Amino acid sequence: MKKPQDILIKYLLPTLIVLTLLVYLPVCRSFVMAFQNYNLYNLKDKGWNNFANFRAVFTDQTYPFGQVLLNTVLWVFISLAFQFTLGFILALLLRKPFKGRGLYTSLVFYPWALSGFAIGLVWSWIFNGQFGLANDILMKLGVIKAPIGFLSDPHYALMSVIIANIWYGIPFFGIMILAALQSIPNELYESAKIDGANWFTQLFRITIPYIKPTLVSTTLLRVMWIMNFPDIIYGMTNGGPANATNILATEMLNKIMKEYNYGQASAIGLIIMMILFVYAFFYLKFTSRKEVEI
Amino acid sequence: MKISRCLSSIGRFVALALFLVFALLPLVWIVITSLKDPKEIFTFPLVYIPGKISFVSYQKLFRFNNFGLYFRNSLIVTVLGSLGSLLMAVFSGYALSRYKKHALKSKVLLVLYFSQMIPSFLLMTPLYIMIAKLGGLDKLWVLAIVYIATTLSFNTIMSKSFFDRIPVSIEEAAMVDGCTTSQSLFRIVIPMMAPGLAAIFSFSFVNIWNELFLAVMFLSDPAKTTIPVALNSFISKAGISWDILSAGLVVSLLPTMIVFAFGQKYIVVGLTEGGVKG
Repeated sequence: MKKPQDILIKYLLPTLIVLTLLVYLPVCRSFVMAFQNYNLYNLKDKGWNNFANFRAVFTDQTYPFGQVLLNTVLWVFISLAFQFTLGFILALLLRKPFKGRGLYTSLVFYPWALSGFAIGLVWSWIFNGQFGLANDILMKLGVIKAPIGFLSDPHYALMSVIIANIWYGIPFFGIMILAALQSIPNELYESAKIDGANWFTQLFRITIPYIKPTLVSTTLLRVMWIMNFPDIIYGMTNGGPANATNILATEMLNKIMKEYNYGQASAIGLIIMMILFVYAFFYLKFTSRKEVEI
Repeated sequence: MKISRCLSSIGRFVALALFLVFALLPLVWIVITSLKDPKEIFTFPLVYIPGKISFVSYQKLFRFNNFGLYFRNSLIVTVLGSLGSLLMAVFSGYALSRYKKHALKSKVLLVLYFSQMIPSFLLMTPLYIMIAKLGGLDKLWVLAIVYIATTLSFNTIMSKSFFDRIPVSIEEAAMVDGCTTSQSLFRIVIPMMAPGLAAIFSFSFVNIWNELFLAVMFLSDPAKTTIPVALNSFISKAGISWDILSAGLVVSLLPTMIVFAFGQKYIVVGLTEGGVKG
């Protein structure tokens, strides 16, 4: 029987039109703007300026490029390492059923559904220098003697926003890895036990190899996602103090919302996308080659 | 052997308890803060259990800061955007799942996956310029359409993978009986898709409710303010008033928590099926 395939194209059309007009067209426009003199304060002179926007970003005095790039790398990889490790441990703990597991997972995974900006504000209250919970707990435990300005002291600010981001990202890894763990057939563990394999051998010989595709794809996607995620920092410090927590994404936001310098903002956007493209290329190459070696 | 098993189950219990405390601490703390009398908020050492529960902050929030209106605006944008995105994703996901020409299908899928990689703040300024020219600023329905666009590719991918699990043979049988494509879609396939629809709706709801930056750019009229925009205006004024803000945060976090509590099962399936974006 022949299916009426033509009507399916009609079903697809609205989605393609919306994506073309409201996603792909603006992105192309953004790429063009990266090479233009686009500033809301001076719209008369929208001419091409070749690579002037990129030069301006690299030599910016207010946002030193080296520092912002280093912050971005630290923000992405420290957050990722802890989110991944803790999410993995949580998923392992949840693999075997126990009484009340459903309620427990709802409570422990709920941060996934919250707004990054609101979470940033909540954590900035916890890290408040005068009335913050973090100071009070650390002083009661005897770790510190006087309150610390976690968000006003450049030594602690980046660590503080990263802690908030770790808290926010554990559920994503927990959910994804738990689902993957539950797809591992139990017979594998049973036969491993008969062979006398201990917990660590089981983890590294069965669990990790079996769910490797999930581990690779979640970490790959999460890097892209964290790098494009200024919300928490925006809610906590907005890049300050003294650029201590500025990452490329927050710098781009500030270029748009404070300086109205759309040209330079688009240039930063392009830089972010290029970094991610290179990262994804090498990450996939590295992880697939390793598989061949085993 | 028995002792080691006992120890490991205690260890597991302790670890699970620690994770729970860490996950709940920020939320519990902001709820406690919002229920304190403002005098008890600004003290150090801290007051952990308020002397008496006070709703002063919530009264300030709703009486003097018009938060009820902002809540309504947020709800309008979020429900419009989620339903619109869901409707379009049902059609496009169905089409992609059932379409047989592979060349076109894989090209469309590539377009969808690629648009997942685009950071939404790269769209901010071009969209702002475009919509300002068309006179669409400060309109809630225009913002809802923008959100349809930002959630649509993920929703389509998810919708397609849900349709893929429903066997084509069921529809073919219906067509032999004389159903048209749209009849078989609405009468037979969509009722079977209920969990998928719940997942797609929950995802869109959470993403749209939480979005801040596009809303800040598109809405400047106080009567059209949504909750994230209102919270943003609380912090940009000199000095944060933590009493009102803590109450505002609790109100802003509640709806997505409720959606998560009810839709968690479907969200987990959706995340692992669509598996692209957190």
